[in-house]
Amino acid sequence: MNSITKHPSNKSVTNASTSRALPAWWLVFTRELVDLWIGGKAFNLILIYSILLGVMVYVYSFNTELSLIPPKEAVYEMLKNAMAVSMFVGLIIGADSLSGERERATLESVLLTPTSRQQIVVGKFLAGASSWPLAFIIAIPFLYVLSQGDEVLGPAIFWGAVTGTVMVLAFTGLGMLISCWSSSNKVSYFVSLGVYVLLLVPAELPGKSAGAAGQFLQWINPMAGVNHFLSKHLVNYRTLAEFWTWLIPPAVSFIIILGLLFLYAGPRLRLEGGRPSKLWVRVSRALGLAVLVISLIASPGVSLAHTFDELQPQASDLQITIDMEYKQVKTGDKVEFNTTVTNASAQDSPPLIVAMNIINLDASGDVVDPEDWSPQRTQYLESLTSGDAAELHWIINTILEGDYMVYMVLIPAPGTATSTSQPVASPGIHLTVAPFTRLNPAGVLPYAIGIPGVILIAILIMYRIRRRSIDMGGP
Amino acid sequence: MKGNGQSAKVTQPSTQLLLANNLQKYYGPRPALRSLSFSLQKGHILGFLGPNGAGKTTAIRILTTILEPDQGYYMVDDISSDYPEQIRRRIGVLPEGLGFPRHITGIEYLTYFGQLYGYSKSDARVNSLRLLEEVGLQQRAKSLIGTFSHGMRQRIGIARALVNNPVVVFLDEPTLGLDPRGQQELLTLIQRITRERNVGVILCSHALSEIEGYCDDVVIMSSGQVVAQGSVADVVGRVQQNTLNQKTFRIRTSPDAVEKALEVLKVTSNVKKVTLVNETDGWLRVELENIPETSLNRKQPLSNQILQALIRAKVPILGFEAVSGRLQDVFLELTEEIIQ
Repeated sequence: MNSITKHPSNKSVTNASTSRALPAWWLVFTRELVDLWIGGKAFNLILIYSILLGVMVYVYSFNTELSLIPPKEAVYEMLKNAMAVSMFVGLIIGADSLSGERERATLESVLLTPTSRQQIVVGKFLAGASSWPLAFIIAIPFLYVLSQGDEVLGPAIFWGAVTGTVMVLAFTGLGMLISCWSSSNKVSYFVSLGVYVLLLVPAELPGKSAGAAGQFLQWINPMAGVNHFLSKHLVNYRTLAEFWTWLIPPAVSFIIILGLLFLYAGPRLRLEGGRPSKLWVRVSRALGLAVLVISLIASPGVSLAHTFDELQPQASDLQITIDMEYKQVKTGDKVEFNTTVTNASAQDSPPLIVAMNIINLDASGDVVDPEDWSPQRTQYLESLTSGDAAELHWIINTILEGDYMVYMVLIPAPGTATSTSQPVASPGIHLTVAPFTRLNPAGVLPYAIGIPGVILIAILIMYRIRRRSIDMGGP
Repeated sequence: MKGNGQSAKVTQPSTQLLLANNLQKYYGPRPALRSLSFSLQKGHILGFLGPNGAGKTTAIRILTTILEPDQGYYMVDDISSDYPEQIRRRIGVLPEGLGFPRHITGIEYLTYFGQLYGYSKSDARVNSLRLLEEVGLQQRAKSLIGTFSHGMRQRIGIARALVNNPVVVFLDEPTLGLDPRGQQELLTLIQRITRERNVGVILCSHALSEIEGYCDDVVIMSSGQVVAQGSVADVVGRVQQNTLNQKTFRIRTSPDAVEKALEVLKVTSNVKKVTLVNETDGWLRVELENIPETSLNRKQPLSNQILQALIRAKVPILGFEAVSGRLQDVFLELTEEIIQ
């Protein structure tokens, strides 16, 4: 065969002037951008996204309870939702990118060119992720209005840009991987949506409720990892050094997904989807089985076997005091106070836990959800030596008007897994909260309506410019 | 793609643009292509003919590098199938049912593909304008493809297939869905392009008249294998020769002479069966006995004997044709044999 086969390198059929030719991935990228943004789905998705953010910020300002959420939490919630929607947009665009083109019969003509499969995939990927920069820029005014001058805005924009870029790129790549291996576009959308829900729902659930395995599952879920990190860092004053490990799964997912897409699936891109290799089927089955097993282990019934067999009496010489008795504030105010824990016994104490409780003194009033009132309701202390004392600092954000009692409970850590201990209560703080709306609905409305409006006008202008450059005549 | 070592010694004449040798493809245990071997000459249109599921599209997809053969090899312009990327530079393809982006113009579409083949933007644009003129779409260069009729889309599809100045062009069912005038115009365009550019064209079609009227050569496929190939005239002639004196004819007489014709033919020697195809038109189908080759009178074929018998009985003969005399008959007969 080789004896008669010419190596093609020295033979040119086309008269192409390769010197000024652009890289193929760039050509595919720009072509895809036009397809996505002119007459495609990207502008519509971004318009829907901006309306969603507008509605959210409007609700935050008009809803009495939500308008009292501290700026840090409001900014975090907005950022989390903006990222979640952007990931969804990236996933949907990615899910349609290859299987959709197969079904519209436009992929074959590109595969028939000498362009490498890898470059086609890179171009499509970049175009698929193109909605994120715009989505993030759109989110910034909303974050600004919710931050109300709080210092959280800067870190929120920085960490939102970093984690959002990683996650949106990973989700766009995931959508493309699914699209590449799906037998039809419908399957691609369905699987992508399923994966999104599977990752989103656990990310919204508290991780500790399912035990250590559950926490691990939360940790390995990149969406949950990012949310947890942002929540701790932006809302709870925790440092990067304390919570950086929660950024490992998103970074690893990003590397694995893009590695698979560009180095494995991309070069093997075919005209017909589906029919993955036997190896891939085996790997998928093994992964599915592993997830099933971990889920079973993570279930509370398996993970923890609580027994309350006997009560161990604890030393009653532990005391807790508060440096405040009564305070009158407005809704949305920040109340700061300190507690002092003292070990008055002759022996060292066990490790200690201090928990905050807030009770509505009005029997007909709303039930208090302490999570809304304080970013950190529990603090932990190491063992206190005899006669030693420790001071703890607490912050409360007053959410609802009314009369409340704030008190602390000091809990000596039980000695064994099956024993218990006797908590000690502190004196209470009587808190009277008068109503006050912090977010000004009139100030929010221009953002809520204006930003989607600007995007709509941009779409119309773009269409108008486009129509001028083409002949709109019929067949 | 691995070459077939046995076939490596084949030498090619310089006018040969494409050579396929023993191409085989299986989808699981099912053979989609059993053994495809053929060649394509410069300036020739080769018709690919076969019923649905015959393996035509599989063959086209292999030859256009979309699929890899399980066995065998092919060469395009002396380039082995081991270099699919280089082959893609030398071929142009209009796949069956090709989709088009709706929101870009014809000129943008062609320019984009020109750039993918390595042209600079300005060169690609100049080339695209020339191609649009070649396929008669210069007036619609700036129209959105979404506003194009089906025929116009097929034309721009052909222009796209020519964007890299290919040496071999594959056209898979290019006239599907076009009205008769549109079909004729497109086929004339294909014929003109073939001659002017001196390229080889593989025309895949269900329409036998297209193959018969516009192709130089034909490959008839059935159930994944080639059942006949050669020039259209050769293939038809070969089958005709095989069936001379021993097969089936159609004879047309006037409707009022049909009964008399039936009587005469039933008593004529060597006639096995006579059936009335259409009484209104007066068409009769005459099936002859199988006669050993040695017993045949080469100077006076059986058909002549039948006609003489009718003329003697004063039955007017308005039409006569051998059932094996057209590509359609050859196709039906060959593909039927395979299916059976």
